[in-house]
Amino acid sequence: METEQLNLRVSQDLVHDIDIVTGLLKVNRSEWIKTKLAEEAQKEKNRLLMELSTLYAKGMITKDSIEKLVGKEIAEEMEFIKEAAIESVRRGRNLGRKLRGKLKA
Amino acid sequence: MEESFVENSKRESFIFDTSAFISLESVSLLDIVLKNFHITTSPSVIRELENFAIHNDQLGEIAQRVLKKKTMILSEAPMQLQPLSYVSDTDKDLFNLALSRKIALVTDDVKLVRHSIGTISTEFSPFFLTVFTEAGLFQKNEAIQKLETMRSIRNWRNNTIYLSAIRELTLGKDNNI
Repeated sequence: METEQLNLRVSQDLVHDIDIVTGLLKVNRSEWIKTKLAEEAQKEKNRLLMELSTLYAKGMITKDSIEKLVGKEIAEEMEFIKEAAIESVRRGRNLGRKLRGKLKA
Repeated sequence: MEESFVENSKRESFIFDTSAFISLESVSLLDIVLKNFHITTSPSVIRELENFAIHNDQLGEIAQRVLKKKTMILSEAPMQLQPLSYVSDTDKDLFNLALSRKIALVTDDVKLVRHSIGTISTEFSPFFLTVFTEAGLFQKNEAIQKLETMRSIRNWRNNTIYLSAIRELTLGKDNNI
């Protein structure tokens, strides 16, 4: 996996807190920070994409706007999912019509 | 098993993956699906459900409920194995089952759907909500409520599936529901 170096300055208080945590857990400080950063980034990414996908599925934002915000790959994936879901619902509607009165709850 | 109104031999068949079982059981739809359709899956999906069922979280509890209905689900390993890139071994099994039996694969796994394009038919799990609503088993507002519940337990891709289905159910031009 390729890596990139980030240069961050954090407060001494934060460093002190991290040292207490990693000391108690007996884990490497850098590894602990990397793990926590990855967890938080994943959680926040999913939360924000949930909100963005909600706006898109409801027709409140265009694919072009999504592309400007998060890039072509995610914008195209959202478009694909939306179109595939709509087509699937339409096929379900057709099958439901054929089976009207023939299914049991 | 209680007999459906649809004669057993005339029932439509589908292949289910783990996400389809979880999504439909999360809104208590799996029983109705199993009464009215033939559902086949792979032994690898059953193993995935068993692994989920070990945990005492929401997904684990749903997986436990699915496994209680195991006798109503046909589990079959694929006879042929056509290669399919970028997906898991379980997904390859399901793809090949759908391919050899020429029936649709039901999954909410977008990656699997994308890689299956042009080779097999796929449906997302809301397909069944539309079938049941149009067939007269559910009111439209009940179906929408179930879709809202389904989207609360998944990620942004599933959110897009369920919300797009809600929008199509609500706004579809040829919607007689």
